[in-house]
Amino acid sequence: MSTHTEEPTAVAYGAPALEDALLHFEVQRFYSLEAQLLDQHRYADWLELFADDLHYWAPVRTNRLRRQQSLADGAPGEVAIFDETKASLAWRIRRFDSGMAWAEDPPSRTRHLITNVVVRPDDESGQYVAESAFLCYRNRLEREVDIYAGGRTDVLRRDADKGLLVARRTILLDQNVLLAKNISTFL
Amino acid sequence: MTLSRTPEPSADVSGYFDLERGLVDRTIFSDGALYRQELRRIFAPSWLFLAHESQFKKPGDFFTTFMGEDPVIVTMGRDRRLRAFLNACRHRGMRVCRADAGATKAFTCSYHGWSYDTSGKLINVPNGEDYPGHFEQDKWGLIEVAQLDTYKGLVFATWSPEAPPLREALGDMTWYMDAMLDRDPEGTEVVGGVHKWVLEGNWKLAAEQFASDWYHVNISHASALMVLSPTGKGPKKDIVQTPGRQYTDPLGHGAGFPTHPKSRFDDRVVHEYYDYDALRERLGDARVEGPTTTGHATIFPNFSYLPVNGSIRVWHPKGPDKMEVWAWALVDKSMPDEVKNAQRLYNLRTFGPTGIFEQDDGENWSECQATAGGFVAGGMTLNYQMGLGLEAQDGVHPGTTGRLYSDGAARGFYTRWRDLMNTPAWHEQPKAAESRTAEEDPR
Repeated sequence: MSTHTEEPTAVAYGAPALEDALLHFEVQRFYSLEAQLLDQHRYADWLELFADDLHYWAPVRTNRLRRQQSLADGAPGEVAIFDETKASLAWRIRRFDSGMAWAEDPPSRTRHLITNVVVRPDDESGQYVAESAFLCYRNRLEREVDIYAGGRTDVLRRDADKGLLVARRTILLDQNVLLAKNISTFL
Repeated sequence: MTLSRTPEPSADVSGYFDLERGLVDRTIFSDGALYRQELRRIFAPSWLFLAHESQFKKPGDFFTTFMGEDPVIVTMGRDRRLRAFLNACRHRGMRVCRADAGATKAFTCSYHGWSYDTSGKLINVPNGEDYPGHFEQDKWGLIEVAQLDTYKGLVFATWSPEAPPLREALGDMTWYMDAMLDRDPEGTEVVGGVHKWVLEGNWKLAAEQFASDWYHVNISHASALMVLSPTGKGPKKDIVQTPGRQYTDPLGHGAGFPTHPKSRFDDRVVHEYYDYDALRERLGDARVEGPTTTGHATIFPNFSYLPVNGSIRVWHPKGPDKMEVWAWALVDKSMPDEVKNAQRLYNLRTFGPTGIFEQDDGENWSECQATAGGFVAGGMTLNYQMGLGLEAQDGVHPGTTGRLYSDGAARGFYTRWRDLMNTPAWHEQPKAAESRTAEEDPR
């Protein structure tokens, strides 16, 4: 299940402590570096930021009556924009590296902006739940423009060798009908 | 008071085609008047795909979609019958349902509160006492489609009371459809959710391609074929030069498929699930070695499917230069959950807006449309000559087939399109227009 509906976290933090600030800085920096890799189309390097047991998921968003809001975001096992493992992401990335992925040849220009980061440590598992907002601007060929905007909820894990890794990512794109001909980048 | 409306004059479209010589004038992909004529003469009278039966489990379940550009509600009534209505209040025309799907007892317009039950009947009118005595509430129900029927789980409807029954309108195409819809005695279902996305392209670009175009696969989808190939180095020669057939239906439908005695599904889990001997028993050798596993198909005008991953989709027209794609993931009911899941994942990783195949289709269609705006480029003649003169009864597959690499089904699609565009639809017949009154159906 997606974790985006959990309790708001800001209040729970209380007065800011130095360790919160350091954690926030570390995660924000991690996301900035991740965004750079995506915008530089360094997808193989980008994939290194994910844990081997990754679940990378972007459910479909539907319009539901207010009393049926619990059904508004696609459930696991339904049609999804992404429903990926690390292996299947690698599969998608190999396509870009084939030299024949015409939807990205010439390549698009993208700019991933990651903001509104809220990190909550999970003391039991030693992992972090990090929520963020993203805005990805894509400009393609002469004047094609697409904007993908939404929220992400990550489970971040600290690996002794590799530092922070994304173990789980849920992407809620803030669109019903996807207002683009495709998504040829990652979010 | 009569409510007959004077339709925009319709054009004779014969001049846009010389299909015997495989020639098509590109104007048909960009002209606004032709597009409005399509809404009148292609979409209004044809059987159009609405939904899959498995989306409706109990009375009150509903799903909203479009027929042409008309918004419709599909819902199961208390009698468990599926009905489809124009999603427009009879009072001022606002949509009475603005959810994609759900369950309800009534559809209530949020403008003035007119409320309709799941059989379309107007059941509540606020301030009813202010309507004079001649207000006939029973005549102001939601406008219902003229005919609704299902074929092996697929729900279709038409606005035309004169359209032939669905089964007849599908013709010989059902033999090919069954290769996907009838593998399992229990039938099919769709997994939850629908992919929806917009494309800057005329709807016919996609409908035609799914009817007729295996040709583009090796080039457009070279990157995906490379990823899928066991060596990771690109498709083997025998895939590029695969034999196969393409079916052309006189009603505008089309399907193409490689033929191979060891034809199999691409996804390993799905491949291992199927008992190919049982499939041969059920569907016959010709189907198992042909349209059962791979290939493409379009049911005229705008429903298409891919047997290899259960992708079923509608190309909703949204203007001459825009379409909206709605795609479902179809599975066999008897499949164990892990096989259904494998099919779903294969579906969304290969097709849909992020699919490694379909990303490139989106680029092709938007690029074709982009050049259609030019005066010279937009009116140039396009070449639909592949396989011209090579079509025949092949003795194995019903109807007329040609080679796999052919424009045959596209020529068939446009023959049907031309003929429908040149034929006044039921709603244009003078008699019907004269007798239309406020009390009667004002469509």
